Amino acid sequence: MNHRSRGCLGFTGSLLLFACALVPLPSFAQNATKTDQWIHVRVESKDDSGETVRVNVPIEMAAKVLPAIHHDQLQGGKVHISKGDLNDVDIRALLDAVRTAKDGEYVTVQGNDENVRVSKNAGYLYIHVQEKKHGEKPAKGVASKENKVEVKVPMKVVDALFSAGKDELDVVAALHALSSSGDTELVSVKDDENTVRVWIDSKNVSD
Amino acid sequence: MLILAKAALGLGATVALAGAYVFHEGVIRVDVDENRMGGHHVHVWVPATVVPVGLHVVPRHNLEQAACQARPFLPALRQLSKELEKYPNVELVDVRSSTDHVHISVRDRKLYIDAVSGSDNVHVSFPAETISDVADRLEAMAPAI
Repeated sequence: MNHRSRGCLGFTGSLLLFACALVPLPSFAQNATKTDQWIHVRVESKDDSGETVRVNVPIEMAAKVLPAIHHDQLQGGKVHISKGDLNDVDIRALLDAVRTAKDGEYVTVQGNDENVRVSKNAGYLYIHVQEKKHGEKPAKGVASKENKVEVKVPMKVVDALFSAGKDELDVVAALHALSSSGDTELVSVKDDENTVRVWIDSKNVSD
Repeated sequence: MLILAKAALGLGATVALAGAYVFHEGVIRVDVDENRMGGHHVHVWVPATVVPVGLHVVPRHNLEQAACQARPFLPALRQLSKELEKYPNVELVDVRSSTDHVHISVRDRKLYIDAVSGSDNVHVSFPAETISDVADRLEAMAPAI
């Protein structure tokens, strides 16, 4: 091998080394799997600004990052609630009663301003609030302008949420429970100005 | 002549390797455009490798102050950095109005933060790994409690 060809070989080798160094190495980090559950939040404003907010967070990521935060009332993935916030209501006793009870409608409040329904069915806790608008009778064939809040939470998530101490909400345990409960719509709020949706599925983008 | 060629080859290979090392962690990119009278235009491209080195140059008291303020969030930042690497291509936040648009996403393991507001544009991108490097350095600088 003469000097020129040796030089060429060296130069080619250097180039290859350089190219290899620039090519990203195969990552050993565990990539997101298809079964990962994502929590999606979408807020759409109906006013002229047409504001939309879309948030997509992998539940597993949230469950791992939250315990690392120690700030104010959020400590290690648990939110401390003061007794004042609960108005001396024993939430645990209340939940125990709901858990052991048969499926059905537990609370129905029909008032002048709003209707509230709390029910349990097939392992889900439902809370429906319907706010009535006074003095606005919708025209025939036009949907009435009512504000609606619908919350659907798997009972095991509620259990996990209240599984920590007496005055604590275990958000991380609730997230773990959520991730195993499959695709579901958690919160839906519809009013004159905004629509809010919070749901869980295995897609990494909101639809 | 041959010696010169060999020296050039050695130098070229060294520069190539040094370049490859400097850029192997990716690039931090900051673009700020204020499209108005007297507005600023900042465009910075820095190899992510220089961040830990750069933090050594920052005055100690400034770094300690930053570390004190950020301390409660440092473990979370480190965890976030680790988790983001598992999600190489995701759209995390998208906020739009008639005038503003804020978008936070991860593409090819780089975190992109784009904010467009009227005439101002801010685009920042950096490897997710950099968050962990900065958190480590800040934690090392935080005064012991």
